[in-house]
Amino acid sequence: MDFLLQPLNLVIFFPLLGVLALLFLKERESLARWVSLITALITFGISLWVLGLFDAANPDLQLTVVRDWIQVAGWNIRYAVGVDGLSILLVLLTTFLTPIAILSTWRAVEDRVRDFQLFFLLLEVGMLGVFLAQELFLFYIFWEFTLVPMYFLIGIWGGPKRMYAAIKFFLYTMAGSILMLLAILWLGINQGSFYLPDLIAIGGIPADIQYWLFIAFAAAFAIKVPMWPLHSWLPDAHVQAPTAGSVILAGVLLKMGTYGFLRFNLQLFPQTSVQLAPVMGVLAVIGIIYGAIVSYPQSDVKKLVAYSSISHLGFVVLGLFALNQQGISGAILQMVNHGISTGALFLIVGFIYERRHTREMDEFGGLWKVMPVYAVLTLIVALSSMGLPGLNGFVGEFTILLGAWGGGVANGPYGSYLFAGLAAVGVILAAVYMLFMFQKLFLGPVTNKKNEGLKDLSARELAILIPLLVLIFWIGLYPQPFFALIGPAVAKLTASFSGIAYLPIP
Amino acid sequence: MFGSITTDMVLAILPEIALLVLIAVVFVTDLVVDEKRRGILAWTSIIGLLITMLLTAFFAQPGAEAETLWGGMLRHDWLAYVSKLIFLFGALITTVFTLNWDSVRFKGEFYVLLLTSTLGMTLMGASADLIMLFLSIETTSIPLYVLAGFLTDDDRSTEAGFKYLLFGAMTTAVMLYGFSLLYGFAGSTGLYEISAAIGAGQIPAAALAGAAVLVLVGFGFKVAMAPLHFWAPDVYEGAPTPITAFLSTASKAAGFVVLTRVMIAAFSSVQAEWQLMLAIAAVISMTLGNLVALSQTNIKRLLAYSSIAHAGYALLGVIAASELGAASVVYYFLVYVVTNMAAFGVVIVVSRVIGSDEIADYAGLSRRSPGLALVMLLAFLSLAGIPPLGGFIAKVLVFAAAVQAEFVWLAVIGVLNAIIGLYYYLIVLKVVYLTPGKDEQKALPTPRPQAVALVVSIVLLLLMGTVFAPWYQWALNSASALF
Amino acid sequence: MVPVSYYLALAAILFALGALGVLIRRNAIIIFMSIELMLNAANLLFVAFARSFESLDGQIYVFFVIAVAAAEVAVGLALIVTIFRTKHSIDIDELSSMKG
Repeated sequence: MDFLLQPLNLVIFFPLLGVLALLFLKERESLARWVSLITALITFGISLWVLGLFDAANPDLQLTVVRDWIQVAGWNIRYAVGVDGLSILLVLLTTFLTPIAILSTWRAVEDRVRDFQLFFLLLEVGMLGVFLAQELFLFYIFWEFTLVPMYFLIGIWGGPKRMYAAIKFFLYTMAGSILMLLAILWLGINQGSFYLPDLIAIGGIPADIQYWLFIAFAAAFAIKVPMWPLHSWLPDAHVQAPTAGSVILAGVLLKMGTYGFLRFNLQLFPQTSVQLAPVMGVLAVIGIIYGAIVSYPQSDVKKLVAYSSISHLGFVVLGLFALNQQGISGAILQMVNHGISTGALFLIVGFIYERRHTREMDEFGGLWKVMPVYAVLTLIVALSSMGLPGLNGFVGEFTILLGAWGGGVANGPYGSYLFAGLAAVGVILAAVYMLFMFQKLFLGPVTNKKNEGLKDLSARELAILIPLLVLIFWIGLYPQPFFALIGPAVAKLTASFSGIAYLPIP
Repeated sequence: MFGSITTDMVLAILPEIALLVLIAVVFVTDLVVDEKRRGILAWTSIIGLLITMLLTAFFAQPGAEAETLWGGMLRHDWLAYVSKLIFLFGALITTVFTLNWDSVRFKGEFYVLLLTSTLGMTLMGASADLIMLFLSIETTSIPLYVLAGFLTDDDRSTEAGFKYLLFGAMTTAVMLYGFSLLYGFAGSTGLYEISAAIGAGQIPAAALAGAAVLVLVGFGFKVAMAPLHFWAPDVYEGAPTPITAFLSTASKAAGFVVLTRVMIAAFSSVQAEWQLMLAIAAVISMTLGNLVALSQTNIKRLLAYSSIAHAGYALLGVIAASELGAASVVYYFLVYVVTNMAAFGVVIVVSRVIGSDEIADYAGLSRRSPGLALVMLLAFLSLAGIPPLGGFIAKVLVFAAAVQAEFVWLAVIGVLNAIIGLYYYLIVLKVVYLTPGKDEQKALPTPRPQAVALVVSIVLLLLMGTVFAPWYQWALNSASALF
Repeated sequence: MVPVSYYLALAAILFALGALGVLIRRNAIIIFMSIELMLNAANLLFVAFARSFESLDGQIYVFFVIAVAAAEVAVGLALIVTIFRTKHSIDIDELSSMKG
């Protein structure tokens, strides 16, 4: 009991209580929504309590729970969870977005309500576990575990091509992660521990093996992010997923990839990280530009937002592999920002889809006149997504660009100005496709008769969007408290790169 | 050689004695009870098997040191102990699945054959002598030939029985030829004497490798590894489904126990050679099993190809030829038997109601019977190796054994195959959960005993994925008995 | 005394004949006879080796093998009869009701 009441265990496993309660309900019962919403809200409350206990000045893991789990003959597997500056914001983001996403399903999901909520809460358990696990084996279990509920969320409640999308999503992610499993096994067998702080302390992995291990981990994370050229599952999954699924997919699941880079690749293989930083930088920049260019011609709004995610997450990866204070803290903040703005965009697309059952841009136009509140809120979110100063996106992207400009990537043969400059082009392109979309949907006369009678946002829909807007302004105008949470841990991380010189790849 | 019989010796073969008594009881009951009341035959077998399992678990547990008993015929060690429990469990669940099946329920010979085959398996698990091995393999196989062809009014069943018999008889003949050569080279049929003779360098390596190939043919047939897998799909499809379940679990596990024991105990001096042979077989088994499974439309055939692929994964543990490797094989089969029993259990219950084994007919199952669909989901995810189910730990262990023994390339091939495997498991789950079916509103009831068997399997499956230590300790004890 | 190597060669020839028969012939009965030939090759080796080792073990084993072979054939013939009733043929190429 004592074990379960540890704050971090409580936050991970509390949603399971909701799952248990749901199992006693009938399939169509609408009470299921309330059970699930209340569970998610309480989980959010617990995560705030964790934040209260969290000491921002301490760069190390905190509130750790370490228990022996599998300790037989050669296997030294522990149950270990802990939180530090690298993960605290992502935990909060998860617990914050989950109730919002659940609230958005009130009208959208009518079929098998109970099962939907059940999978959603299971997904939350998996995601929180991923961000809090500090033990490779445990991490892998949570990592794989998130696939199953998401598979069903897309597969049962998704759009017309849902089965294809669900299976593609599952296979792509599994393909990457199972290579990571081999790397985890190698580490556990040869280094004698799966516990992350131990592994970092032991170190001493030969350079050539470090190189392969880095690639095995990176394969799993790059598919999840997704980085170009491994992104092709993302548009399918997003377009077919139900709104709440898209929100969580974009808002949290993709961050598992970038978080993985941060937590494992950078910490376990500092040597190889420095050496491969230019390669990752190139891929990130290609992702930024490619995502932006492909977003532009999309006629389906949801697909546009999906492709824009590839571009935004390119920024995050670029920041991470700048390997300096600004780059990494900017990247962490940008993960949160992207979760908020893209989550909000998917919700916004969901609202209009519930009204018209289409997402084709050509069907719309002049919505400002019909739904003014909706239009204004969309404008704010779009501006945040394209990085307008004063809103959250700007803070993240600007810090990342600063990091890339002066960054550790400069140690490499490619120079840093190129990366920063090309990434800045991505910012401009983002403005182009976002404004283009906004103009097509909202400006001009109402061209389609079907749009004339549309109702503006309801109170429930406002209640969903307003918390997100508050955060958009808060981070945009006063990001200091957020950086304060991240700073010390990042400083500790970047210190580990200081002695390493760039060497050509072996 | 034949000293007085001690308690130890009797306790070592307690499972076999109990099974023999049970066989006699079922035989006599069949003779005395009149036809209408023969339903008690199945229950007699179930209760008898339960008692046998309990007796085995509590009284036949070996000590820390492995002993060779009965004039060098049988080995009394942890590997034998754990494998006997696996076979008994398999037989028990198989019998439960026959309970509401009218074509065999009243036939005593069905249960007698099933129990005799189990008796053969328990002896296979303990055999320490080539002749004992041959006899126990045949005691296992001959009843299984009959059982596979048991439904004489069904063409596919007799055909399955006959094909199984042909392949079985031929590979056994090849194996026996290998045995006779080994006897000639080593001057003895005891596995451990042969091992000593080989270790002393009495035997030319080429002759030994030749004998190893011949012997591997016989074992390869039992475990259905490529290229000796041809019989499996047809036999699995044609045989009565409970027998298919038994074949793909207990019979395969028995083959693996023998394979591991003989390869590690007797052939350790030509290890590099047989490792290479088995590595090739493993790669072909995994790849071929998974690729052909992709295009299957019949669920029993799909599971047949999947079981060929799983033989490939488990071979990785044998190839590692280490303590971790042997432990991983045992763990693999602890999990695999439970998982496949659950999967076939669903197939049996469903096909009894809808009268078809086509995957397409599983559409809408999640609405007709959420419970069965959930069992299917967990069993298939476990086969695919998704945590936190037993199949995940099993796969981790065999891959870890391969990595540790520096067969990283094999582990990589295994991992890639796991992804292909995942695809067809997901396709079946897709039909079960996502595709709307014709008779969605018609409930599909699960008879009580089968439901209990399925729940037991699923609980074990979850336990093997989360509470890892006790099972792994079993596996480890079994492995250390070999080295 | 005839050296063991002669028996080895004879057994190898018998075994090869049996194996060829199994692979080439399509008549189920003849396949069975070929399998018997293979088993007897092994039996011959057991007996020959037992004699050269001057122990009885190998000769006793042959009795076990003969008994098992008889059981196998009994089951096989029963199945052949069942199949013959429906198909009126014992050509194993006719056994192809399952595919995939």
